[in-house]
Parts: sequence; C-alpha cells; structure tokens
Amino acid sequence: MDGIYRPGWVGRALGWGTALYLVLPLFIILPVSVTDQRFLSLPHEGISLRHYAALFAAPDWFASIAQSFWIACASTVLAVGTGTLFAIACWRLNRRSTELLRALMLLPLIVPSIVYAIGLYRYFGWWDLLDRFAGVVIAHGVTGIPYVVITVSTALASFDPRLEQAARGMGASLRQVLAWVILPRIMPGIVSGAIFAFIHSWDELVIVLFIASRDVFTLPRRIWDGINENQDPIMAAVAVLLIGFTTLLLVVDMALRRKRDT
Amino acid sequence: MSATLGTGSLELRGLAKRYGEFVAVQGADLMIAAGSFLTLLGPSGSGKTTILMMIAGFTEPTAGRLLLGGGDITALPPEKRAFGMVFQGYALFPHMTVAENVAFPLRVRGIGRAARDTRVRATLDLVQLSGFADRRPAQLSGGQQQRVALARALVFDPALLLLDEPLSALDKKLRAELQEELRALHRRVGRTFINVTHDQEEALSLSDEVAVLNHGRIVQKGAPAMLYEHPRTRFVAGFLGKSNFLHGVVQGDGTVQCGPWRLHHAAPPAPGTAVLLSLRPEKIALGQAGDNAIEGRVLSSAYLGAGHAVVLDTPIGPIRVHQPAWRAAVDPAIGTTISMAWAADAATIVEDDDAPG
Repeated sequence: MDGIYRPGWVGRALGWGTALYLVLPLFIILPVSVTDQRFLSLPHEGISLRHYAALFAAPDWFASIAQSFWIACASTVLAVGTGTLFAIACWRLNRRSTELLRALMLLPLIVPSIVYAIGLYRYFGWWDLLDRFAGVVIAHGVTGIPYVVITVSTALASFDPRLEQAARGMGASLRQVLAWVILPRIMPGIVSGAIFAFIHSWDELVIVLFIASRDVFTLPRRIWDGINENQDPIMAAVAVLLIGFTTLLLVVDMALRRKRDT
Repeated sequence: MSATLGTGSLELRGLAKRYGEFVAVQGADLMIAAGSFLTLLGPSGSGKTTILMMIAGFTEPTAGRLLLGGGDITALPPEKRAFGMVFQGYALFPHMTVAENVAFPLRVRGIGRAARDTRVRATLDLVQLSGFADRRPAQLSGGQQQRVALARALVFDPALLLLDEPLSALDKKLRAELQEELRALHRRVGRTFINVTHDQEEALSLSDEVAVLNHGRIVQKGAPAMLYEHPRTRFVAGFLGKSNFLHGVVQGDGTVQCGPWRLHHAAPPAPGTAVLLSLRPEKIALGQAGDNAIEGRVLSSAYLGAGHAVVLDTPIGPIRVHQPAWRAAVDPAIGTTISMAWAADAATIVEDDDAPG
C-alpha cells in the first residue's frame, strides 16, 4: 500500500518481539527432538535422528496417531455438517432469537474445557459412551462447532443476497440455490472452519483425559503420559511432526482465503 | 415452463404494498401488452422498484392481483414465475464463468449439456459476447457484465424480462450505446420488457410506453411523445424534461391572463377557470415573432454546444429558454433585454400536483 505511515522503531520492536514470543517455544522443540540423549534435553555431543527412528518403529505411537487422525476426521465432519447448517439457518432467519442462539453456539469456546469435560463425563457415563471412539468424536465435534459457525457466518455476511434472488428468479429451487450458489460462495469459510475444527480435535487433551482411558488413547494423551512418566525425547519428535502438519493445514487455509479474496 | 404461463401480457389490478404505516405503492392499475417495452419512471422512493419486485414475486403485495396472459399469478413464488430479470448491479454469480452464468437457468431446468451449450452460445452471440465465455464476471467491464446479465435473463426464453435500473452503473457514453442495443434486442427477441429507471432520457428513448410514478402512485402512462407533449400534471411535465409553469386565469375572449399579459392558447377552457400552463424551454424562440410575444432581461446564459440555456427575468418570474446556438436570431448576452415568443399551441394546461423533487 502506498501513502501509509511507515512503522517506527517502537512498532518494529513490538512486532518482532510478539512474533518471537509466539514461535520461540515451538523452535525449542526442534533441537530437543534431535538430541542424542535419552531424556528431554538439548543435544550434548551431536545431533541424532534416533528418536524419529524410534517413533516410526513404535506401534503404540502409531496407533495413537491413527486414532487421533480418525477421531479428528469424524469430529470435523460432525462439526462442519451441523455448524454450517446452523450458520445458514441463523443467517436466513436473521431474528433476535437467532443472534441469541449463535451466541449460545459459541459456548464451548467460552466455558473452560475442564468444566465442559466434567459435564460430558456425567452424561457419557449414563449413555455408555466413556472410552469409546464415538464418545470422543461427539465431544470433539460439539466443541468444534463454534469454529465452523464463526468462519461460515463470516463468509455468509459477505454473501450478496441478490445472488439468491437472481437464482430463484431464474427458477432455481431452494436445494439448487443452496448447492449451486450459496455453498460454492461460502466454501472457503467452510474449509477454514473444517481446518480449525480438525486442529481443535487433533490437539485436544483435557476432555480426552476425562472421557477416555485405555481403548481410546489419542496422541495428545500419549504425549501427556509420556511427559509425566518417562521424559522420552520421542515426544519432541512427535511434536515437530505435529507442528509441521498443523502448519501445512494453516498454509492451505491461507491459500484458500487468498483465492476467495481475489 | 414459462411458455405454459401464457403470453407475456401482464395486468396489474389495484396492486398495493404497505410497510406498516408507510404506503410504498397505492393501488397500481396497469396493462402491459405482450411484446411491448414499458418503463416505470419515477424519483427514488416513488415505488417503481417495489412494483417491479412484486411482478418478480420477491415482494408480496398487500392488496391487488397480478395477471399474466389472463391467468392469476399473484400467489406464485418467484421460481415458478421464472421471469428473466436483470438486477441492479447485475447479481452475476462470481464463482462461475460467463458461460456457466448464462447456462444457470437451463441447468436449473435440467436441460442436457449439449442443448445447453448450443443455447448459451447463441445467446452470447445475441449480446455480442461470444469471445468471453470462459471469463469470470470480475474480469469484465461494466458494460460486458451488463450484457452477461441480459444473456442470462434471456437464455431460457422467459415470457417477461424485468430490468431494475439496468444502466445506472454505467458511464454516460456507454449508457447511450447500451440503450440502443437494448432497444434492438427488444425488437429481435420480441418479448415483453419491463424496465425501471429514474433517468427520463432513458425512459423516453427505450420505451414503447412509460408509466410515471410519484409517491407510490402511477400519475400518467403513455407513449413517450404523448407524455412529453401532453403531460397531465405539473409533476409529469417537470420530471420528463424541463418546463416553465405559468399560472393564469381564462378570460372572456379565450385568452389567459398571466401577470400583465394576455396569452393566446390553442384550447382554452371555460372563462374564469384558473389554469397552470406548462411551456417547454425549447418551444420558446428568442428574438422572433409569434402568437405570444413578451420581453425579458437575460439573467444567465450557458453555452451547451448545440444550444444555449438561457434564463430570462420577466414580471412573472424567471423563464427558461433553450435555443439552438447555430444561426441564433439574437445573442443572449447577460443583462440585455430581448424578446421571446411562442405559438398558441406550444403550452399545455396541466393539473397542479406537487413539484418534482
């Protein structure tokens, strides 16, 4: 942009300081993951990839990664399906009550997840959903809905309602309008929401600690236990892979946003 | 589908729309012949767009009926009416190419790809956009987007084409060009076109018939020349072009006493009647003789290329005159006193409603 004020040194320092503050904890993981020691520490004599090798040789870590992945996928589908339909319904009805409902849907973001987890523990106990794949999927799906509602509502806010009028005027039924006009227009918002819902499930720990124990053992759970029990640097290797994976998802999200904006 | 709705003649019977206390449209009666080009003309807030939206089916009338080819369509939802419509700002689908946009109404009707492609190509030819099928709307100029919107509205051969201020977003030169094209298009496709605009020039040049609206009421309807030459009210005369308004009283000898003058009028009403005369600026000749001749001092004079727009001060207030600049009889220099004249049949008697906004 031309004609805007250039940042002064205070602004620059603040900007870089904030960026460092955000990424430094991530970068410490990288050297730790290539340590030559047997416990979580920085490399002493040289770097080694033995913990990455150990990770790929450990079936229980792999099982947890697979389990986390499938849980994240299923809960993303749940969150995207319900969240998108909800956002569209609120947008179409657009009454005071829908504003209230929308705020209600954001509750999982506001209520501390430990409180949420305690509540879920009770209900899941009654419904025999504790330590079940379906239970974790439902819990993660429901807590992932707010992300989808926010991103899809934002996408809908910039949707030109005359496009729907135009489509109707040309004879399109509600289903055709939805499938051919509204959904394609808000697809970037849906994908964004899906990515956030996926990441949410992928690194969720607190709820899993409450409602799962042995049969469902997600990746964050295994990292947690690993840190508590044996300080194995294999966790750092897992963390690096997770960071890489998450970064990849965010890059995809950014690319989609750019595509939508042009 | 549209064919089953009968021909494109449309009738509005007492069509009204109220929003709480506010009356947007009060009892509009209108008969639009199949194949004609009608323009709803009025200032903003006159109810013209509300009428169009009621015809399209997007706005539900509070009272009245809509008849298409004699059949009642008042209760039909817009997707069942399926009139072609060009929206203000065009409302093209940004995520589709030009061809996909134009194919949309056909896709909705489940027409196969091959038939669809043929029709789309023919319609794009019709609006002279053949080379643009694979572009996106954002890559087109305003005039081209307008043509895509037209193609999309015509491709499914609707009984009626509705145009909501279709040219308002374009610059003046392009607007003139597209007016001509729209007119030619109307002749070629032979469908009923209903246009909404606040631009009187556009209304006059495009339409077979114009309905002038003010405050939610149709004030007058007729062919452009009829409306311009014989405005029924002061509002119509003032909104369709410019006019001078002279108050007067008809005398025993049939002249109209207007200030110090006795003016001759071609068809005066009974003596004693108070009348309002509407006199077009271009019907007054400067420095020439005529049935009615008066003098005035030039207050202002603007040179417009083709002519002069002159305002003269007279005992009954300022009078506007337009005269051709080429071989003008007098030079309307500011401050000079010159004579002006008009024929007895130049002025029209109009009803005094409110002045145009």
